Amino acid sequence: MFGAGSLSRRLILGAGVFITAALVVAGVVILFALHRFVQGQIDQRLDSQILFLSSTLQMNNDGTIALTGAADGPPFDRMRHGWYWQIIGPKNVLTSRSLREAKLEIPDLSNRPPPPPPPPPPRDSHDDRPPPPGERPRPADGPGPDGDPLHFRIFNVTRGGAEVTIVATAPRDAVLGPLRSAMTTLAISLVALAIALVAAMLLQVRLGLRPLEDLRRAVADVRSGRIRAVPDDQPREIAPLVSELNTLLRQNAANLERARRHVANLAHGLKTPLATLAIALPKDGARAHELRRLVETMEHRIRHHLGRARIAALGEPVNAQTQLAPRVSDLGTVLCKINIERAIAFKGAIPDGLAVACEPQDVDEMLGNLMENAFRWARSKVEVSANSDDSEHVVIFIDDDGPGLQASDLTKALQVGQRLDETTPGFGFGLPIARELAELYGGSLDFARSPYGGLRVAVRLPHSR
Amino acid sequence: MKILLVEDDRLLANEIATSLRDENFAVDIAFDGEDAEHLGNTELYDAAILDLGLPKVPGAVVLRVWRENGRQLPVLILTARDGWSEKVEGFKAGADDYLTKPFRVEELVMRLRALVRRSAGHAVTKIVCGPLSFNVQIGVFELNGLPLKLTALEWRVLECLILTKNTVIDRSVLSEKVYEGDAGTDSNSLEVIVARLRRKIGKDMIATERGRGYKLSAGGT
Repeated sequence: MFGAGSLSRRLILGAGVFITAALVVAGVVILFALHRFVQGQIDQRLDSQILFLSSTLQMNNDGTIALTGAADGPPFDRMRHGWYWQIIGPKNVLTSRSLREAKLEIPDLSNRPPPPPPPPPPRDSHDDRPPPPGERPRPADGPGPDGDPLHFRIFNVTRGGAEVTIVATAPRDAVLGPLRSAMTTLAISLVALAIALVAAMLLQVRLGLRPLEDLRRAVADVRSGRIRAVPDDQPREIAPLVSELNTLLRQNAANLERARRHVANLAHGLKTPLATLAIALPKDGARAHELRRLVETMEHRIRHHLGRARIAALGEPVNAQTQLAPRVSDLGTVLCKINIERAIAFKGAIPDGLAVACEPQDVDEMLGNLMENAFRWARSKVEVSANSDDSEHVVIFIDDDGPGLQASDLTKALQVGQRLDETTPGFGFGLPIARELAELYGGSLDFARSPYGGLRVAVRLPHSR
Repeated sequence: MKILLVEDDRLLANEIATSLRDENFAVDIAFDGEDAEHLGNTELYDAAILDLGLPKVPGAVVLRVWRENGRQLPVLILTARDGWSEKVEGFKAGADDYLTKPFRVEELVMRLRALVRRSAGHAVTKIVCGPLSFNVQIGVFELNGLPLKLTALEWRVLECLILTKNTVIDRSVLSEKVYEGDAGTDSNSLEVIVARLRRKIGKDMIATERGRGYKLSAGGT
């Protein structure tokens, strides 16, 4: 199913690549959004802490800074958890209780772009004003007092003409922790989604390609003669193909029919005057024998070439299913009637329902010629039997209890126009024509010794079920 | 012995008819299927030669119509297409034998005689009636072992009589089987022929059944 150049393979590969890419992009985008969201939450928290610190910050007359109220609300009251703040004044430094004695190393912001939007210049020099809206703390990452990674928010304010830096930090894990747990859930969901999508895709490919498989079966049925044409009710995409196919089949059938009619007319047109000539020839006289030979030669040539023309007209065998039993029985009846004086016992032992994928006319032609031959040579008995040696072929045996044929005669018998017995007319064409027809259908013609002592001819033809 | 020959090719039909008449057959010819159907249904024949490819009505149909009308005469079909399907079709319609064109007249004559002999119920080729014997296969009469010289009409009458030996054959049937369709049937001439035959084979063998017909038998009853 997935061989080189397979449609399924193309569809599955294409869809697989697309699904993988889509899921990877979706995962990255979701993670990115989640990161921003969590980061935003943390930043907001740190920023409000900075804002609060900034609003309670005052500059003493001695140039030191102090806070007017308690600033260690949760989570800044938890010792050494990464939630810290620090205010760096010109003379002193205030820190959160959670830092204990430690100090924060402020990451260098000089090589970082300024946070958007850039702080507009203050319109007046009033010191106690809160930072103008839009001026926001700048982010940074760096190690904490214990070496643990921290996320910083850094804000510069001016108090009493002096620059004061307010820093608030959160542990990086506060961002990464939720992200990590979200990522696990996300990965499981995405993998589950991927499996569901692949399953759906495989199902779709199967369903989508099923009409092609149905079509293949229909064409096989046409070939083996079970149906005459591919059914027309096909999906819109392959309907034109089927329509073309059926037109081709019809054309083939029409051509075959035309060619056969032509050959038949030719046969009639040539043979009737030849028959007249044969009868009109003088029976005695010096040239009578010579002239008769000429007529006979003409007859042979005509028969030979008409047989060939008929086979050539057939070209490619077209679809047909022919039941063997009735045809063998009909031919047997005809031959028994013709040979009524010789009292030959004929037995047709063909299993009911056994059919070959050949045109009925060709089956008649092959079996007729072979059975006629068997009747000609038989002493008292002709039997036609058949079996399907495998699912692909049917072998038909034509047995007689006549003298049989020697190996050297067999090769001769298959040469067109060769007569083994010059006194028995009509022998020369039956076998070669039967063999040519059988081979045209992908079958064969073989000779063996019959269990009744005479000749056994085995014709192998394609089976039709 | 009277034959209906159905063949649309006039040249061939005439050649066959001539050859058959040389062999003492009486021959009526039909050139198309309609004529053939009519003649076969209305006239008495010992056998018919039927070409399958006929204008108007196909040969197989003609044959089927004859059989449906109860005509049991033996029929030999002629085909130009030596395809088995056509032969099978012909035999299914009721044919008894076939020949493929072209053929030898000798073969045709032999087949016809065999058909007529079988349809008259004789299994062997030699019919014997007292000193008279008739080899149906070669169409020769012998009297006491010596060949008997007969004219065509004498031959036909004697053949009819010997094929139906020991039974009375109706005068009208006899004349129908002896004279061709277009020849005037003169009952007097039949009398004359029978008289000539009596002179040749002995007058006791052919008995005249008053008002009915003639009977051939060994002794004379």
